Amino acid sequence: MLEELLMAFINGILLGGVLALLAFGLNLIFGVVKIIHMAYGQFVMLGFYFIYYFHTAWHMPLLVAMAGGIVVMGLLGMLVQLLIINPLLNAPRLNQLLALASLIIVLENLAQVLWGADYRGIPISMPIIQFGDIFIRSSYLLAFLGAIATLGILYLFLHKTYFGLAIRSVAQDVEIAKGMGINPKVIYYITLAAGGALTGVVAAFFIPIYTVHPHFGASFTLMAFVIVVFGGMGNLMGGFISAFIIGVVTSITAVLTSTEVADILALVLFILMMMVRPQGILGAKA
Amino acid sequence: MLTVDAIDTYYGEFQALEGVSLKVEKGQTVIVVGPNGAGKSTLLKTILGLQKARTGSIKFQGEEISGLAPHKVVERGISMVPEGGRVFPDLSVQDNLRVGSYNPVARPNAQRQMEQIFSLFPILSDRKRQAAGSLSGGERQMLAIARSLMSCPQLIMLDEPSLGLAPLVVNMVFDFIQQMKKEGYAILLVEQNANKALKVADYAYLVESGKLVYEGDRDSFDKNPYIKTAYLGL
Repeated sequence: MLEELLMAFINGILLGGVLALLAFGLNLIFGVVKIIHMAYGQFVMLGFYFIYYFHTAWHMPLLVAMAGGIVVMGLLGMLVQLLIINPLLNAPRLNQLLALASLIIVLENLAQVLWGADYRGIPISMPIIQFGDIFIRSSYLLAFLGAIATLGILYLFLHKTYFGLAIRSVAQDVEIAKGMGINPKVIYYITLAAGGALTGVVAAFFIPIYTVHPHFGASFTLMAFVIVVFGGMGNLMGGFISAFIIGVVTSITAVLTSTEVADILALVLFILMMMVRPQGILGAKA
Repeated sequence: MLTVDAIDTYYGEFQALEGVSLKVEKGQTVIVVGPNGAGKSTLLKTILGLQKARTGSIKFQGEEISGLAPHKVVERGISMVPEGGRVFPDLSVQDNLRVGSYNPVARPNAQRQMEQIFSLFPILSDRKRQAAGSLSGGERQMLAIARSLMSCPQLIMLDEPSLGLAPLVVNMVFDFIQQMKKEGYAILLVEQNANKALKVADYAYLVESGKLVYEGDRDSFDKNPYIKTAYLGL
């Protein structure tokens, strides 16, 4: 029993890393552009399809297909900024939400038209690693390590470059940022491109774990949203911490009971948080 | 250097500025005094491009800048110290300064400029890794002034730099303005504290409810009976 719990804990940490990466882009976009990218999970779904398509139809080597998927998702992120967010930048919150929510429907149906409703995946068999009595799937370990490395790169980008500095200042006070010579439109494009590319990265790490279908993204949008709000909207560190909390709690609950109960518990935890501390773990009081 | 000619600025249907004209010459310190809500901040925002003037022209070094986006105006050499020393609270002191040098003209000199600023404001050097939000009101105002110097400006606009500060700190802020003046920066200072502002001014304007009502050099301002009673409290 103890080994099982320990294993669940480790798996929870591994899951937490991937969830942290998943939530990061959504959180960044909210923090900087002050908009909730409702179709974020659908972006992961599209990224998955693009990698799948590049690999199977265009016969690209898998790593090249992944890189291609990441680039295409970055460009799609900018396209969302251009076609949907820019025209609605000063619109009421509800209109922005509805526009991005309708993007969910567009993207899911687009995927169905382009690739059909079948489950598709790239069969990769990755070994299971054994440490004593503990077994870890190497696909999860790889996703975890990749997620942490990507988050590290993002941290350096945000803290060591002028663009990163501009992104952080626009997130805090857009009017003063303008007065400092920053063009927020450019920063919004960079943020959406980064957020889009991140969905491509997440999709690449999901390839060995999942198969994709047009409604694959929905649960990830919800999961990312729960993590972001749980941690404090727009607070990147809060999102990072909450991803691990959610990962470990669901993983351990799944071992003790079932995965369905684990999902319920995660959402109950979320509701409790909203009642006790609506601004989330590290969020500022509104 | 800066010529503002008959600008009208609106917030929706509300007219905040009505035919305002003013001039700042090279190396000059010009002040705009007037009561709260007279449109002084709007004037600075309009010059910087944060607000659009509906009519009129704004020329800087002979070129029309009215209608340009703020980042283009900053590039040309105008910087602003916003009201209340509005700094980025979650960024470190150092990063706040670095944002000041964001425009491509200032960026190559950022390192040297920052060292100069640290020797000018040793307190900022001591706290360079601290979040700007943890500074006192006076320190925040200094940081906002220092940040505006980072963009290699030729004209610095200050919006109510003495607002909400203790008298001793206000004196310190005005000492710095005096020092910037000596270094040859052109300064456009907007203040409610007319007494203090007049001491550093070469030329002054009085604005009331969006309109220019009086202008003159320091002496004529000092001697104007209406200004004396209404703004200088003499």
